Amino acid sequence: MQSKCSVCFPDRFNVVVEGLLLTHLVTSPHVPVVEIGTNFTATCVIVNTVEVTADSLYWNLSESSVVPEKNYIKINESALAVTILISGEESEWLFCSCKKNSPYVSLNKSKFIHGIYLKKAYPPRRVENLSCVAEQVGKLVSGVLNCKWDAVGGQTEDVKTNYTVMVSGTYRSKTTFLNKTMVDLGFFPHFMHFDVWVVADNLLGTVESEHLKQDANEFVKTDPPSKVTAFPEELFPNCLLIKWEHPIEDVRIKLTYQIRYCESGSHTWSYVSIPLGDTDKVITSFRLQNLQPNSAYVIQMRCRNREGNSGPWSNWSANETKTTPEDRKLLFHPVCVYDFDFQDPKHANGRITSFGLILYNKNGPLEQEIIPADQSQNSSESRVTLLKNISLADKQFVRVCVNANNSKGTSPEACLILVRSSGIYLCVANSVCVSLSEQTTVEKLKVWTQEGQMFVEWKRPNNTAVSEYVVEWARHGKTDWQRENKTTTRTAIKGSLEKFVRYNVSVYVIQSGRVWKLVHKEAYLEQGAPEQGPTINKSYPAYDNAHLVWDEIPLDKRRGFITNYNISYRKENEAPKSIRVAANNTSYTLTELLGNTKYEVWISASTVAGSKTPGTIEGIVVGVSLGFLFFVLMALLLCFLKKDVLKENFWPQIPNPGESTIGNWSPDYPPKEETPKENCVSGVSVLDVGVCEVKLGFEEDKTSLSLKKGKYLSEEHSSGIGGSSCMSSPRQSVSDSDEGPDLADSTASTVQYSSVVASSGYKGQTPSSHSQHSIFSRSESTQPLLDSEEHPDVSLQEGCRQVQPPPRPLLGVEQHDFCPLREDTELTTEPDSLSADTESGAVSSYMPQLGGYRPQ
Amino acid sequence: MNGHVKNMHFQQLVETAATLLCFLLLVVVDSTKTVAAARNQECSNDLHRTMKLTRLVHKDTGDLIKQYKTSQGEMPELLCKASVSGIPDPNISGLEPSEKIASMYAQLQAFSPHLTRVYEQQTDLQPPKSPLLNLLNMVINQTGMLTRRINNFYHKVFPNLPLPELAGGSTTLPPPQNVFQQKVYGCVVLTTYKKLLTNMSKNMRTLRSKVCRKAPASEFNLF
Repeated sequence: MQSKCSVCFPDRFNVVVEGLLLTHLVTSPHVPVVEIGTNFTATCVIVNTVEVTADSLYWNLSESSVVPEKNYIKINESALAVTILISGEESEWLFCSCKKNSPYVSLNKSKFIHGIYLKKAYPPRRVENLSCVAEQVGKLVSGVLNCKWDAVGGQTEDVKTNYTVMVSGTYRSKTTFLNKTMVDLGFFPHFMHFDVWVVADNLLGTVESEHLKQDANEFVKTDPPSKVTAFPEELFPNCLLIKWEHPIEDVRIKLTYQIRYCESGSHTWSYVSIPLGDTDKVITSFRLQNLQPNSAYVIQMRCRNREGNSGPWSNWSANETKTTPEDRKLLFHPVCVYDFDFQDPKHANGRITSFGLILYNKNGPLEQEIIPADQSQNSSESRVTLLKNISLADKQFVRVCVNANNSKGTSPEACLILVRSSGIYLCVANSVCVSLSEQTTVEKLKVWTQEGQMFVEWKRPNNTAVSEYVVEWARHGKTDWQRENKTTTRTAIKGSLEKFVRYNVSVYVIQSGRVWKLVHKEAYLEQGAPEQGPTINKSYPAYDNAHLVWDEIPLDKRRGFITNYNISYRKENEAPKSIRVAANNTSYTLTELLGNTKYEVWISASTVAGSKTPGTIEGIVVGVSLGFLFFVLMALLLCFLKKDVLKENFWPQIPNPGESTIGNWSPDYPPKEETPKENCVSGVSVLDVGVCEVKLGFEEDKTSLSLKKGKYLSEEHSSGIGGSSCMSSPRQSVSDSDEGPDLADSTASTVQYSSVVASSGYKGQTPSSHSQHSIFSRSESTQPLLDSEEHPDVSLQEGCRQVQPPPRPLLGVEQHDFCPLREDTELTTEPDSLSADTESGAVSSYMPQLGGYRPQ
Repeated sequence: MNGHVKNMHFQQLVETAATLLCFLLLVVVDSTKTVAAARNQECSNDLHRTMKLTRLVHKDTGDLIKQYKTSQGEMPELLCKASVSGIPDPNISGLEPSEKIASMYAQLQAFSPHLTRVYEQQTDLQPPKSPLLNLLNMVINQTGMLTRRINNFYHKVFPNLPLPELAGGSTTLPPPQNVFQQKVYGCVVLTTYKKLLTNMSKNMRTLRSKVCRKAPASEFNLF
């Protein structure tokens, strides 16, 4: 029986069979885990009995539910396979049983059942939204990297997915089943590159998440900025100066900051990201702008890694609450509906302490009164304040003006004009009156307001038969209109108009079914001070001035026609200066500024109702003119590149015989004597017996007037006693190099002297006389050498010369002056003539001796 | 006539092909420039970060020296003024950028065992939770990172040049010392190491323009 089974089934079953002799059913495969959602196929084999066949077998799950027979596959008479879909998360048994009720089976039920334990699992899936943070601890960043992620896919109780965080392949976290863990890095590796990922693995496999590759500092979550403090500035009621301290040293991580603020009691935050600026310097202060005066603000700050502008934000700092200063320019506007009331706007810019009420008639002020304000009311709320009931009596014209006072001063006046007309007082706001006066020049269309209504008047077209008119008024994004009959030339706009909003009022003529646009005009029902100042768009600082360009105030913020701009600027801790600029300008150049000085500049705009201060505050630094710097640089560059030309023109290379030649001729001169400043070396007597070969030319190498030391040295060997004037080549010297050593041992009675008498024109100079010759003369003399030539430290060759007798004055000896710096002593010789002279032999043409010998 | 027309057609074809070729060349050159610019940027960024890490180690070494002096008892200043032989040279040698970077790498490697020796000595001299030990450990750790960073940067910029081995083989550490000698040795090692970092910072500033022109754009991991 066993041998039969060995033939029928694979060998692996034999082992099982042999080990389980007591059972007649064997199932396979026994896998450690099965994947949920997949099909699983199992096989049941009958062994050691012929009592049952495969037809007697059946499969059931956890002894409860029988697997339908449609899932069975009969392999042969003793083997039955089944395929099931793995569902559910709980592990369970898959049993193979026998349904035959024979006595043997009934008595040995335990031998006719065998099962597979199905441990179910989900395959691991790559996690998502991996994020890691290293928090600041004290003054350092913690070396512990906390990571979290969103696990994807399910887990079963029996087979959980393990997660491990890997950092750059060097560090790894402990394995966890959760979705967060930490990696201990030891010390935080600032400025190192991080590669972080999560490995998810279980019995079904392993999968890696996406890699986070970024600088280590991008994982740092610092503490919030410390010591965040707000400072109100009296001069800028719309601003608060915020100062803070870095939570961590810059050398570890540079931070960028964000501020959020809201009015106290409000929960609507406004966010301001602090610009990084042009420099690498980390800023620690910022001025919040466009705030409401006399309002309390709550301010918080946070920060994060600056480079890459990424990484986790710190927590918000603690609340800093400060109140902006009161603004002297109180905002309110008059209304006259039933009484002479004045309405505070939404923001009064301060707490009004009192009102000044002034009545005028045509002749001037009638009366004046100070009315205390009701302090119980909150000034930040818009309200109508009844100031006083005024008896107009029989007055035909009354002008009522009111100003308001707070701790900062007195506001501009707001006025109402009351005109009695047909027994009714018409009330117009002062601002509108001005506006009307400006409109009077309009040719065909007049728009004005009166008693809170806008009126339109137009001229009737002359040569047309008008059917009707249409009056249209439009504001941004909203248009309305009304029809008027053909006889109407004046009407009030019936729609609901808003104050401080610019309307474009147009009148259309309807004529025989055609529409003509007559004219249009812009108007306000009532003007107010601009809601905000203009924003400085660009500033071009120069050496002593700065050109400012600003943006016009958005139309919906103007609240009236801009009459002018007011530019204010100041140096630090100095009183501001103001400049008034016409309304049609959007740029201006501030002049007479100091270089390398920071100025704060702000611009306010005015309407007939007043102005609002300031717009954005711009810090400009007046620097050195770039153009000037460029010019200087270019000039320097030009000088550098053309230095040879400049040197030729301004400092021609003039040989200084007194500086070098005489010394070289007489090496016995002490060095200090070699460069006599007096230039004129007189007293050198030469005999007219020397042979002089002159070789001159304009070329430096031929004229040798440069008397370069190197060149001299190269010729020294061959020039003999007289050294060599640079004019003489070794061959041309009378006493060549061979003579030198010979003379060294003797106190020769004759000494050769050489002398440069003149030269050709210097480079770049015009020859003074073409007929003049440069003469190189050499003479022999027994005259003792000059004292100055007797130098103790001499070379052997020079020593030879030292023993030569010095020259002495003789009759017929001419003395030569070496005056290299005096052009009148320089003789110019044309090359041709020079060669001619050279060819003609030695010429002895000494200059007359002008001085005596040098002291000996 | 037909031949002439054919020639004309051929000429037009050649012109078109030439124009197309020029355009393709322009595109290739432009893309090459873009890639080169990206490489330069990457090189600059790497060098920039290396400089920052050097500055950080320099700063922390400064703090460490202060802490060291306060932890050594009396006359801390005298400890650091003594001369000790066998401390690596803090100067950067070489004229070429590759030589300078190699020198930095070699000097860092040379200092590393000395720093470790100082840590071992101070472990015996200081209480276990002394902040000095923590700072020393941190600087040693940072030195390792800086060494790795410079090594990788060198291989990135000079892929065909092997990094020279430390001249003279391994660093020679001092023989066993008494407590005073250990204190002196530690302070001299730290102050000399700080000088090395100062010299490295100076040299790195001049390297950017010389090095970051022909760097290949291979992504590499600094760990």
